[in-house]
Amino acid sequence: MSDQTVVVARHRTFSFSRLFAITTNTLTELTRLKVFYVLLVFALVLIGSSIFMAQFSFQQEFQILKDVSLGAMSIFTSLLAIVAAARLIPQDVEDRTIYTILAKPVPRLEYLLGKIAGVLLLLAISTLVMSAVFLFVLYAREQSVIQMTLRQMSGAPREQVDDALRAIRSSALNIDLFPGIIIIYLKASLLAALTLFVSTFATTNIFTIVVMAFIYFIGHLQATAREYWLHEHSSGWITRVFLAIVALLFPDLQAFNLVDDIVAGAAISIALFLKTAVLGIFYTAIYTLLAAFVFYGKEL
Amino acid sequence: MTDPAIAVRGLTKIFPIPFHRQSIVAVRDLDLRVEPGEVYGLLGPNGSGKSTTLKIILGLVSPTRGCTEIFGRDSRLVKSREAVGFLPENPYFYKYLSGEETLRFFGRLCGLGGAGLKNRMDELLELVGLTNARKRRLGTYSKGMLQRIGLAQALIHDPRLVVLDEPTAGVDPAGSREIRDLILDLKRRGITVLLSSHLLAQAQEICDHVGILADGVLVREGRLQELIAIENQTELVIANASSDLVEEIESLIKRSNAELVARRRSTTTLEKLFLDATTERPRS
Amino acid sequence: MIRLVLVLLTLFAFGAIKLPVEQVIFAQHRQENLRGVEFNLDLREKLGQLGFIAALSGFRAIVADGLFIQAHVAWERTEWGRVLLLFRQITTLQPRAILFWDMAAWHMAWNASVAAMNDRTQPRLALRVKAQREYFALGKDFLERGIKNNPDRPHLYETLATVYKEKYKDHEHASALFAEASALPGAQSFDRRFSAYELSYCEGREREAYDRLRQLYNEGEKERLPTLITRLKFLENKLGIPQDQRIPDRAP
Repeated sequence: MSDQTVVVARHRTFSFSRLFAITTNTLTELTRLKVFYVLLVFALVLIGSSIFMAQFSFQQEFQILKDVSLGAMSIFTSLLAIVAAARLIPQDVEDRTIYTILAKPVPRLEYLLGKIAGVLLLLAISTLVMSAVFLFVLYAREQSVIQMTLRQMSGAPREQVDDALRAIRSSALNIDLFPGIIIIYLKASLLAALTLFVSTFATTNIFTIVVMAFIYFIGHLQATAREYWLHEHSSGWITRVFLAIVALLFPDLQAFNLVDDIVAGAAISIALFLKTAVLGIFYTAIYTLLAAFVFYGKEL
Repeated sequence: MTDPAIAVRGLTKIFPIPFHRQSIVAVRDLDLRVEPGEVYGLLGPNGSGKSTTLKIILGLVSPTRGCTEIFGRDSRLVKSREAVGFLPENPYFYKYLSGEETLRFFGRLCGLGGAGLKNRMDELLELVGLTNARKRRLGTYSKGMLQRIGLAQALIHDPRLVVLDEPTAGVDPAGSREIRDLILDLKRRGITVLLSSHLLAQAQEICDHVGILADGVLVREGRLQELIAIENQTELVIANASSDLVEEIESLIKRSNAELVARRRSTTTLEKLFLDATTERPRS
Repeated sequence: MIRLVLVLLTLFAFGAIKLPVEQVIFAQHRQENLRGVEFNLDLREKLGQLGFIAALSGFRAIVADGLFIQAHVAWERTEWGRVLLLFRQITTLQPRAILFWDMAAWHMAWNASVAAMNDRTQPRLALRVKAQREYFALGKDFLERGIKNNPDRPHLYETLATVYKEKYKDHEHASALFAEASALPGAQSFDRRFSAYELSYCEGREREAYDRLRQLYNEGEKERLPTLITRLKFLENKLGIPQDQRIPDRAP
């Protein structure tokens, strides 16, 4: 070492540059995962393959293209969220990197926020990539259908051509798809935060993933359990306690499955979109904080 | 009076075993004090509570009773870790980062950045002798190189105290010698070092102060020279002594009522032999 | 241990806060006709184990598409019973997809009914006619349930109107449905015209039909299509409208 003195910045209770360092490192770590590429390629192939459905009418083709693409995005983001978030902390503990990091002046909350931010960033990037591919495929198909229609209707009156084009455009891209995609992303974020929370008290990776698989299915049934609990008073108290626990502890994942209906052409109101988005953000925040709380008490 | 580098008072750590009535006592009523500037060796067999003690000092594990302080700051405060660098046992860093990126990452965690961090990285890579390997991924590093980048990482924010958990475990003799030299170098710069080890020969070479843990209890503690000195014995090492001289000394000893305990030919250490043989090969 | 209790308490407390929010969202879904799918034993029976699980986990759109492709194959093989069964499943899974209701109705009321009428294995005409009328009814039923699930979109009204017009020759119902469609956002420009045309065939409502056709005529050149002029002239004659109030003959 030279005599040159190092200027060490004064310690701050919360520092964005530290958070950023952990976030970018987590992102790098996750992009090295083979499973990430396998899933991404699978999703992209699925989106791309919807092109080859020439036997159907354009309404059917667009419908299937949208269903499959958004379904692939939904599966991919949910799976990735769970698989990626489940290994964040256990991997660092196993590799002992967590000791080196937490032996630095890094608050545990910051470490955890950095980790979850890395996952959310990865999910955002994948969602953007898939959306771009999906929109491109949809646009290309729409254009070729329009060209074909114009050729076929070259002698028809103006009004009829306009009606036909309007029908094509309305069955291709509708603006409501975008809030639908944002909701898909929020659902994945919620799942990532919940997975991180589960992983703070789980002992193995597999345990976390299995627990999350259960939560995923129960979460989709939560609405049914909740409505039954609140509106049916005939059942026995054991059933009612069980339903209450499901309704209170589990998130209502069906609330985030708007995209099925959006693809079918249903419009959703801005109010509904905002409420769902706020609920998703709220869930993500609560689960992250709970994860931090458990993590603070964790012996490493 | 200045604060001690490390103060441990009445430290007890009990790990409960889930679904069992009994629990494991890892550390029992430990008192420890490391003064600034010294090299302190925490010795003991595997499972004697060395690592647990270090982890409590670094705030990674919370004590059941008692408290630990680093330069007067409670270990449970994040702020206490500003003054300390830590090298865990068998460290694995992120395999996909290069040596340089690893240091940058840890530097940024300590609030460093810009030209200051850059200079510091160059300096440390030079110090631990990894300048040529700075762009290589850690996945390709040898065990000794990993240990050295680990040491560089522990020093990135110029701490006053360095905690090393088994710094030479699993490293070959040459690598282990380099690490020992680095530790002595730190001592010369006035940096306090706390290390745990079960390799006694090495500890003996570098430590000023040692504490011996057995089953979580500190059984011996003190300055190394005082601990291992045998009060009523003296050693002479003589070069080029004729047999006459040796006989004369022996008879002198007999006459003065003292006792000759052992007489042997001096040997070099096997380590020194190994290092000479492997490093000073004739150049072809 | 204390931490675990605190975590559980927080989860329950948050649960109590989010519950009303989720209910508001649920109510709004109902109001906006989303989530028309009830996950119950009936659906489980219709879909089978695997389909039910897939649908449960948020992939009902894809499951519906898979079934739709199967239905397409069944149609190519003219297995009408299977087409019907599959479309019942599809529309249960995706009640907001107009396309599926429309296809289901088209297969029943147009394709299957024609096939039933031409069925060479059934020598008795009366039975063939009966089968045909049953398929008309199936198509009508799909459309009625589709409208119940999508009251806000005009397309299924238009299709149902066409079923009444072409299959049942029930001009009164057809006219009423075209009128309903025309009042909805996204209606086709022909809906109002068609409603008036259909009305012009109804005994006893000629005056009303005439008024509506005349109003359309007065709106300008783009409504003055050949059919409209023909129907208007037919009604002028039938109602005995004075010469000076009649529309001019088109220039030769």
